[in-house]
Amino acid sequence: MGPLIPQNIINGDLNFFFALIIGIAFGFILEQAGFSSSRKLAGVFYGYDFVVLKVFFTAGITAATGLFFLKYMGWVNFNFLYINPLYIWSALVGGVIMGFGFILGGFCPGTSLTAAVIGKIDAWFFIFGMFAGIILFGIFYPLFQPLHMGNFLGNPFIYDTLGMSQKWFLFFLIMMAVMAFAVTQIIEDNSKRFKELLYTQKLKTTYPLFFILILALTALFLDENRISYLGETDRSKLMTQLINKNRYLDTEKICYNIVNEQKDLLFVDVRTENEFNDFHLPNAVNIPAYTVLNNSTHNNFVEKNKKTVLYSSGTTKADMVWFFLAREGAENVFVLEGGLNKLFDDVFGNNNFIDTTKMDGLYEKRFFERARTYLKEGKLKKDEDVKTVPPPSDFDVKAVKGGC
Amino acid sequence: MEKSLKNDVKPYMNPYLAGFLLGIVLLITFYITGRGLGASGAIKSTVITAIGKITPETVKDNSFFDEYFNGGHSPMKSWLVFEVLGVLLGGFLSGFLSGRLTLKIDKGPHIKNYTRLIFAVAGGLLFGIGSQLGRGCTSGAALSGMAVFSTAGFLTMMAIFGTGYMIAYFFRKLWI
Repeated sequence: MGPLIPQNIINGDLNFFFALIIGIAFGFILEQAGFSSSRKLAGVFYGYDFVVLKVFFTAGITAATGLFFLKYMGWVNFNFLYINPLYIWSALVGGVIMGFGFILGGFCPGTSLTAAVIGKIDAWFFIFGMFAGIILFGIFYPLFQPLHMGNFLGNPFIYDTLGMSQKWFLFFLIMMAVMAFAVTQIIEDNSKRFKELLYTQKLKTTYPLFFILILALTALFLDENRISYLGETDRSKLMTQLINKNRYLDTEKICYNIVNEQKDLLFVDVRTENEFNDFHLPNAVNIPAYTVLNNSTHNNFVEKNKKTVLYSSGTTKADMVWFFLAREGAENVFVLEGGLNKLFDDVFGNNNFIDTTKMDGLYEKRFFERARTYLKEGKLKKDEDVKTVPPPSDFDVKAVKGGC
Repeated sequence: MEKSLKNDVKPYMNPYLAGFLLGIVLLITFYITGRGLGASGAIKSTVITAIGKITPETVKDNSFFDEYFNGGHSPMKSWLVFEVLGVLLGGFLSGFLSGRLTLKIDKGPHIKNYTRLIFAVAGGLLFGIGSQLGRGCTSGAALSGMAVFSTAGFLTMMAIFGTGYMIAYFFRKLWI
């Protein structure tokens, strides 16, 4: 399941190698399309050459349609993708400034690079200007900062912003693109200017478009809200897991782990935030059950090489979350047997029943005593220090840093 | 200044085919790396590295340039820098194969070379500033943002092209 590198499915050291290969393909296509000519690029604004619109829109809807289907099949997890953060005024003002830059300079950054490298002198000057612009931005950053960092609205999706479903948005986007292609083709054909710039391979222009159009129509018949996808656990396996109770880890195992400060377990507290702030296990993170079940948060706390232990007061909530995750195909997810209640009973309760005349019993009693001290101190420490304990660093969602 | 003969120059790729291939490259990029394509970020890394090397004291107390010290490794060791090296290689390869390696200034028919170059610098300057505010340029913010359905990407894209169309008339002398 993708994306591969953020989830450590393939070695992150290869990332730079892929960057180079992807860059070569990117640069090659840009140059082949004619983006190395500022006159062709500017044509989109004057009606004599719409190469920008055609390439840009076709690439956009191809990638968007592809990601839509990869997501639907469960082959790509959007939680790990870089979704551009929305600083609304910064995005708009930046876009307007770039609009001016496009008309005056005739390039955008990526295209100027492919132009510069094949000897376009105007592109060299454009790139020089870009360096100057970024240096100015840096020097006067204190002035730009309120705009740059202000009005942060999260990382919203356009279809949520517009209040429509993803598949309908995709459909309308493709329809808009197809209409734009038709209209601009007519304008371009009737334009009397610069015919020589349109020296392009002949191809039945409709082939790739038909392909995407069919995919878009297929999308409309898909049920986006189903939780099942190809990666999900099949029914019989799920039922077996549910019945055999292998998911339960007993309090001894948990205490052993805490006392010895082993880091191989990730504790996830699925109770409410208030309950979590009152008390939680050392190094636990708080992901309330309702946020998981409503799917309103990133369900990324399942790590590949770490056991995740869910706990609540009893086991009901933790079991619900476990079931949800197990159905999504998550492995290595466990539940604290009997919940915090049983843990407290075992550790703080009367455990005189343990037969201390035997070696094992003695060890067990000592063990619980140590656990008691540890948990008490942990609680004391917590009350004095901070109310909210930051999650351990290795818990961070490894969403990649993107940008241009 | 144009040296190559028309006969040697191959036609451009059909734009719909180019767009389709570019979309596939973008899709693969997202599938492998979780991020999209970009360009201006690499220029930013280069700028920050250069400023950090030349005047380290400027870097110290400026929250834009102090990324120079981030993580203790050079800003040049970033995904986009390697990707842009690839773009340069790929662009050159394509230009070479299609017979488009020529020293030349592209401009509208009614302006002088120096006018074109002055406006190219001005346009680059604006793109430099705009791409920082927009958190990406046409590729990183608009195209990649569109592919992942991000609101920010669509907004920036509409702002870029909307502005372009609104002001195109006033700068028509540059191009037609």
